Amino acid sequence: MNGPVVYDPVTLPADDNVDPYTFCVELSGTRWFLQKGKMIAYYGSIAFDGVGHGRLDRLVRTSFHSPLHAADWVVAEGSGKMLLADRAFDVNSYDLDDGNLTIRSGNLLAFQPSLSLKQSIVPGFVTLIGTGTFVAASNGPVVFMELPLRVDPQALVGWADCPSPCHHYDHGYLTGVLGGVRALTGIGGPSGEEHQFEFVGAGTVLLQSSEALMPEQPTGAAPDEPGVPGPAATSGDRGPQGGVPRLPGQLGDLQRRFGL
Amino acid sequence: MATFRLHSGKVLAVDLTGDAVTARNGSMVAYDGRMTFKRLTGGGEGLRGVVTRRLTGEQMTVMEVRGEGTCWFADRASEINLVRLTGDTLYVEADSLLAADAGLRTGTTFTGLRGASQGNGLFTTTVRGHGQAAILSDGPAVVLRVAPHAPLVVDPGAYVAHQGSLRQSFQSGATFRTLIGEGGGEAVQIRFEGDGLVYVQPSERTTVAGDV
Repeated sequence: MNGPVVYDPVTLPADDNVDPYTFCVELSGTRWFLQKGKMIAYYGSIAFDGVGHGRLDRLVRTSFHSPLHAADWVVAEGSGKMLLADRAFDVNSYDLDDGNLTIRSGNLLAFQPSLSLKQSIVPGFVTLIGTGTFVAASNGPVVFMELPLRVDPQALVGWADCPSPCHHYDHGYLTGVLGGVRALTGIGGPSGEEHQFEFVGAGTVLLQSSEALMPEQPTGAAPDEPGVPGPAATSGDRGPQGGVPRLPGQLGDLQRRFGL
Repeated sequence: MATFRLHSGKVLAVDLTGDAVTARNGSMVAYDGRMTFKRLTGGGEGLRGVVTRRLTGEQMTVMEVRGEGTCWFADRASEINLVRLTGDTLYVEADSLLAADAGLRTGTTFTGLRGASQGNGLFTTTVRGHGQAAILSDGPAVVLRVAPHAPLVVDPGAYVAHQGSLRQSFQSGATFRTLIGEGGGEAVQIRFEGDGLVYVQPSERTTVAGDV
């Protein structure tokens, strides 16, 4: 029997996965942004600082653009090799080349300062713009899908190159005589897939291969002004399945939406 | 000597030919051949073990599995990592130790601040001798070598075990910013120096200093 693979600073990969759950970042006087508390080990000398203080204040302007959620991010600075992991979820790195990508806030683990992070208009999501590498966590390996496409809300990780994300409801299933009977009696019942996210246009959609959502990270509240979508106060439990589990046959908000 | 092998990442298979292994109580999932399971009190360390383990809070309920055939072990679908010991010592929390060759000696030792920073208490379990052991982790552990020229710093929440002759010291990344809730998220770190291996899991337990 061979023992497990033993890594040392030389054999650890540079900016690549050690295994599906661990990512190694090489720093040589450079910086990386990471979510608080995702470093599991490092060789060399690396300092971790909260973003947005003292000499790092400028980073908020250049890389975050929004001071609202900067406090949840940490700058790793120094030289050495650093291992990142997140609750034993799958982690992967992606390269953006002068592109953009919108991702669920809880899935983004770390990114290079050459990318800039902005709040998305879509609540609970953040957008990365520019050129550079970022590391994202997902529950199960990530699948890349071409458009047009409808996806399950819980499986959505993010999307790249500006498709148009919108809600889609299986209207036919919920209306008419049969729909009414289903809603009233619970016979047949909803399949749990009446609501999807629809993507059309050009771009790529990233899906995780499970429907277990990652806990949401606060993205910072959007300014509370007319025309800004998303309730400014609430974050967390959002989406049609959020909150209490529904009984079979009970469509909840959808019922109201379709006048059932 | 019992042969340990991973049936999958989460199931440990041990081939026995009349010899024995000690394993966490109730972790057997299947066996073939003839096996006897005997509860060992005090981690199989005799009366002294009963007393020290009770005193140190490093309690371990283990059983001795003896027989001929193959026995499979698993615990809450945790990832299992094999460790081979050749005369050196493995330091692991009692909660993370799944099974060890019966020829290995287990004991308890003082860990000081590292244990305290993990919320695991001030004592840890040692396994020494020649043979194999299996340790549990949340996600497959990464094995990192510490050499005299390459010290390693580990997050207490991700630390699983270490072996060899390592010195550990407590390193603080806390600054005045930590006090005002704007810290770097890595306020508590353990630094390993010397010569040996450190097992790190790709997940962080919630620790006392988890979010500062």
